[in-house]
Amino acid sequence: MELLSHMALGAEVVFTPINLLLCFIGVLLGTLVGVLPGLGPTAAIALLLPNTFSLSPVGAIIMLAGIYYGAMYGGSTTSILVNIPGEAASVVTTLDGYQMALKGRAGPALGISAFGSFIAGTISVLGLMLVAPPLAKFALAFGPPEYFSLMLMGILILIYLASGSILKALMMAVFGLLISTIGMDSISGSQRLTFGLVELSDGVGLIPVIMGLFGVAEVLTNVEQAVKQELVTAKVKGLLPSLQDWRDSFWPIIRGSFLGFFLGILPGPAPVIAAFSSYAMEKKLSKHPEKFGTGVIEGVAGPESANNSATGGAFIPLFTLGIPANSVIAILLGAFMIHGIQPGPLLISQHPEIFWGTVISMYVGNVMLVILNLPLIGLWVKLLRVPYPVLFPLILVFCVVGVYSLNYSIMEVALMIGFGILGYVGRKLRLEMAPLVLALVIGPMMEQNLRLSLVISQGSPWIFLEHPISAAFLGLCLFLLLSPFIPAIGGRRKKLQEKVEGEEV
Amino acid sequence: MAKTQNFYDRITSIFFLCVGIFFALNSRRVDIGSWSEPGPGFLPFWAGLTLCIMAVALFITSLRSPGDILPAFFPESDSWKRVTATFAAMIFYALLLDFVGFTLTTFVFVGFLVRYIFPQSWTRTIIVATLSALGARLVFINLLKTQLPLGFLGF
Repeated sequence: MELLSHMALGAEVVFTPINLLLCFIGVLLGTLVGVLPGLGPTAAIALLLPNTFSLSPVGAIIMLAGIYYGAMYGGSTTSILVNIPGEAASVVTTLDGYQMALKGRAGPALGISAFGSFIAGTISVLGLMLVAPPLAKFALAFGPPEYFSLMLMGILILIYLASGSILKALMMAVFGLLISTIGMDSISGSQRLTFGLVELSDGVGLIPVIMGLFGVAEVLTNVEQAVKQELVTAKVKGLLPSLQDWRDSFWPIIRGSFLGFFLGILPGPAPVIAAFSSYAMEKKLSKHPEKFGTGVIEGVAGPESANNSATGGAFIPLFTLGIPANSVIAILLGAFMIHGIQPGPLLISQHPEIFWGTVISMYVGNVMLVILNLPLIGLWVKLLRVPYPVLFPLILVFCVVGVYSLNYSIMEVALMIGFGILGYVGRKLRLEMAPLVLALVIGPMMEQNLRLSLVISQGSPWIFLEHPISAAFLGLCLFLLLSPFIPAIGGRRKKLQEKVEGEEV
Repeated sequence: MAKTQNFYDRITSIFFLCVGIFFALNSRRVDIGSWSEPGPGFLPFWAGLTLCIMAVALFITSLRSPGDILPAFFPESDSWKRVTATFAAMIFYALLLDFVGFTLTTFVFVGFLVRYIFPQSWTRTIIVATLSALGARLVFINLLKTQLPLGFLGF
């Protein structure tokens, strides 16, 4: 009953003309950047963030969240029709989705990914509603040592899940942590490592780093050689999957939804990992695994559902702990702060209208996306016909405007270009960018909690082991670090390391 | 020219060693503090040292076995030209933005990239550059009210 009244509160917030409009703009823009390769949700959020200052907090969050899950929808369209994933999370969709399109089944492929995403989105919103409030109550018992250990565990889980060499990924994380220390120290208020540059006193901004590492680096990689765009020119028709298609995809969608949701709670590029894991799982469970890669609908339905529900799961650490699980959520966290709201265990009880409003808006947004996505596919396809030689300068312009408009600082644009080079060279050297970004995101919080813990314990590092919850987190950290040396588990980890390059975390 | 992963790893380790030393040294300019009272330099100092140790460890492991052969740094012989040109164009774009103004700089920037990276016809170049400069101006400056620099021409 309590749940119903909360949902009614959320609905009250969402069903106002202005918030519905904001939700619509969010999902539309999200789909658009999802379609365009090289432009991710981060770029779209960066472009719109300055415009949200005048909105109500809940309206701003509704729109920005819409961009995030809308991008997951858009990414699948390009994967299926042109074999170019608009989003890293849609990379696996190209495997079977494009094959289906070649066989003239682009319609059902697009249809099932839209419906699958809708079902998955719904399941993950339900999960968010059920899991977040009790978790937030539990998190109230957390002090600085618990937070520090939890964040350390988050970084290590990401390193464990998504990287080739653990050592190199750890180095990238430490590098990110070091970058995060530039600027004003949050405890003493003194400036450090700024080298007299006023622009650095607020620290190295997250948005220039992400747009550089992912946007600019992606473009630089793409201009190396001319790519032939193969577009499925046949008209996309019959978007509704047949009864047989539904029979084949029902369980993959359900499994993908749950898998995605739980992976979504973990830090890092959850939608990417969720999509890959779902594909691997469906292939394993299938009666005809050899057909995967030739255009089976399960290979589209599972991963597409998983990456969508992972976006819902990713909101849990934000709403319950105030910890961003990935960079998009981190920018959302920034948006909360700008509007004077501190995400964390108290958010749900102190600002119920924001939590429930956002949750319900995600549900409404999912409905909008289905309605929007199906008739607009023709438009997205037209957009993709724009040849890359014409498209990439525009992507760069968007990146520059996005970064510049945040603080009107050319310095930050220069920073973005610098990180673009780092991202480009890093890809060549097989360095993972995800740990760097996550460490940069949670670095300031980690530092604060580390130093507070040490002050509380008067310099004894044992405080992290004396608190049982913190000790449990650290135990898991140790396990993650040592497990690659245990043959039985190490082998399994290798299998997880599918090639996921250039992912936006 | 194919390079092995180990060759790249050695470059990586040297780069990170420099980064680690840089942060560890510069963090000493502010108060590092003690374990019971960590100051602002505490984390950069210790994390910088950790990075140095990790870099040395990576260097040592890279000496042990030759490692996989990775694809060439640039996939085509003239790839570096396009990458460098794009990079240079971005730098000039950023440098001229304040002085020349958004609309005009965007026109030149887009025009240059369209014409020279994957050469398109002049007609197409002019059309794309004009449309994107005016379109971006309309959307960002007029519609979203983004305060982009208008330059000395005020345009």
